[in-house]
Amino acid sequence: MAYAIKKPGRTVADQSYVVEAVKGLGVTFKRFFQNTIGPAENRKTATIRYPEESRDYPERFRGVHRLTHRADGSPRCVACLCCSTACPAQCIYIEPAEYEADDPRHGYERYPRVFVIDELRCIFCGFCVEACPCDAIRMDTGTHVPASWKREHFIFDKETLMSIPGKDGTYVTANPRHEPGDPTHPGLDREKAH
Amino acid sequence: MPTFKLDGQEIPFEPGDTIIRAAWKKGVEIPHYCWHPGLSIAANCRMCLVEIKSARPMALPILAWDEKKKDYVETTKNKLQPACQIEVTEGMEVASKGAAVEKAQGAVQEFLLLNHPVDCPICDQAGECKLQDYWLAHQKKLKRKDTEPVHKPKAVRFGPTIVYDAERCIMCTRCIRFCDEVVGDHVLDMRERGNKNEITVSPGRELDHAYTLMTEHVCPVGALTSKDFRFKARVWFLRSAPGVCNGCATGCNTWVDYDPRYQRVYRLRPRDNEQVNKFWMCDAGMMTYKRFHEDRILTGRVRQEGRVVEVPRDVAIEASAKVLEKSQRLAVVFSAQHTNEDNFVLGKLGREHLGGTALYLAALSPESVPGGWKGDAILRHPDPNPNRAGATAVAGGELRSTADLAADVAAGRVDAILSLGWAAGESVEQLASLANVPHVNLSSNIGPLTQVATVVVPVATTAEASGTFVNAKGMAQQFQRAVNAPLGIKSAWETLIEIGKRVGREIAFAKLPEVRAAMPATTAAVAAAS
Ligand code: SF4
Ligand code: SF4
Ligand code: SF4
Ligand code: SF4
Ligand code: FES
Repeated sequence: MAYAIKKPGRTVADQSYVVEAVKGLGVTFKRFFQNTIGPAENRKTATIRYPEESRDYPERFRGVHRLTHRADGSPRCVACLCCSTACPAQCIYIEPAEYEADDPRHGYERYPRVFVIDELRCIFCGFCVEACPCDAIRMDTGTHVPASWKREHFIFDKETLMSIPGKDGTYVTANPRHEPGDPTHPGLDREKAH
Repeated sequence: MPTFKLDGQEIPFEPGDTIIRAAWKKGVEIPHYCWHPGLSIAANCRMCLVEIKSARPMALPILAWDEKKKDYVETTKNKLQPACQIEVTEGMEVASKGAAVEKAQGAVQEFLLLNHPVDCPICDQAGECKLQDYWLAHQKKLKRKDTEPVHKPKAVRFGPTIVYDAERCIMCTRCIRFCDEVVGDHVLDMRERGNKNEITVSPGRELDHAYTLMTEHVCPVGALTSKDFRFKARVWFLRSAPGVCNGCATGCNTWVDYDPRYQRVYRLRPRDNEQVNKFWMCDAGMMTYKRFHEDRILTGRVRQEGRVVEVPRDVAIEASAKVLEKSQRLAVVFSAQHTNEDNFVLGKLGREHLGGTALYLAALSPESVPGGWKGDAILRHPDPNPNRAGATAVAGGELRSTADLAADVAAGRVDAILSLGWAAGESVEQLASLANVPHVNLSSNIGPLTQVATVVVPVATTAEASGTFVNAKGMAQQFQRAVNAPLGIKSAWETLIEIGKRVGREIAFAKLPEVRAAMPATTAAVAAAS
């Protein structure tokens, strides 16, 4: 059933505009002085002094990306290109390569020779994290991309992405795996496994 | 033509066809791994099981759960049969769908994946893997086995071009049959049984015949991977354009797989054509894609006082026009590596407009191919040029060789040269005399002809332009442009028209079909037919 909403009536003061405008400015200035001058405990609003102060983001906040490490410090990423396939902004560029013949991970493993994310194009949807079968790319850093004047600063390469720790301060993930090449992995040949 | 019924659809067949082949000819796919239209029947994967409704049922006694009696009861079920092995008969009724068949397909899938590592992220076949496709189509369930799969050797080197992963192999034996039946070289075989099965190379041998990359191509899963393509690109990013191989006069039909984002060709794959190459290509042919990007000529080149200077394309065209204007006795060199269209416009400009009467053909000789070239009885033609027949036909008759040209230049019978392509059967030293007269060359790559030219104008490769080749059997085959030519480079025929304009000779072709329409009736007719 439809019902009528009663509009508040207007007084002469409202009509004349000036009085109400000055009242409104009064509120603005009160807040302004409360929040910028005087001791912190007097401040009444949600404003903080960014960037000197910062707040913790919610648990599931999608921050800037990082690439997780294996126990031996190599990237967990196997350059499968699932993330760059899923990425709607098409901002991930990967060049896969093969570990050399003398490497214990040779044969099993591809790795990203080049891994670049253009953080300016990124829309922080998190699809890349969803797509990654190796838990290699994560957005659990709890920080966002630092501001900069330079475009190049937003092009994060493999080394940059691997140098960013997770919120827990480590470079690994909470979901360990038996990786090929690790001593815990069932091994390369039939004899070793059975 | 007699017909049979597959899932209610009337399908024609020729006597002797199996169910799967008849369906395949009609474009209907019955799931399969081990069957390949070009190989013998092994019937070992059991993915193609179908129910033959019209035949006397081969009933298997089974126990089935009866919901009403709350007990197992004795009953029978129809035995399914492999569609790849059963010959069709008139009026046969076949079901490749339905509860019984789908259950079997799911079960076969589950069986094949029992010990499969499913390391698709690091597998190069991901995106074109039959296991992935059929899992999604027929199983879509987790496997019930939860113990560690059997581990087998990974990344085994089979030869200079192929890497084998025993864990991923589903033992379809396509690779063995390919080597045996098509190449005639029994270099692969199977050893052990059951879940220890694996493919091995004959002792003391390597997988190193001339068709090794095809073994990778017939492998329906990621067990065999090509060293060249391994980890270079993901197939879901690639697009394919129909091409014709540049490797020899057989003219195998190809798919040119390129990445549209980087305008780069990553591999060639055989395109089925029963009359030319059936389903196959040779290694050397598949590797010709490298020429599209390696040793490219991307700017004009002008020789000044013995030194080669790189100049913009426009400047090179200007310089070519100057050379051609002055010429009285022009030699025109056609190319067995270039398309009919390119050669035709070359003839128009060189012969009709500039009055060149001395006509030659630049063609590779088997010895001049890097690594040598030998024909065989399978696909490889002794002539390593894709379009000798076409170039000769559009030029209107027998052409003399580039060796003859060198002699003619030395004898002073020629005062300028207009040549197409980089390839020649002779070395730079043998062609050295060509540098004695002004020489305009249109090339996509560096080769003997470009090195003795005064002016080189860059042109597009066969991946960067559409065109027609005529193979040794006289079949004209068209191919389509895959990638864009870089840096404003155009195809040879377009470039020739530009040069013609600079010397005041109007050749009025704006589009490729116009060139084709103007070509001599015989070559144009075959070009239109293919
Ligand atoms: S968060 Fe989204 S847009 Fe950003 S890189 Fe990942 S997939 Fe791409
Ligand atoms: S980050 Fe993950 S999804 Fe992206 S390429 Fe590496 S392994 Fe694949
Ligand atoms: S063959 Fe490769 S892509 Fe196919 S299912 Fe196995 S691991 Fe995955
Ligand atoms: S290597 Fe490939 S083609 Fe050969 S048997 Fe195994 S799965 Fe089949
Ligand atoms: S395709 Fe028929 S059994 Fe393999």
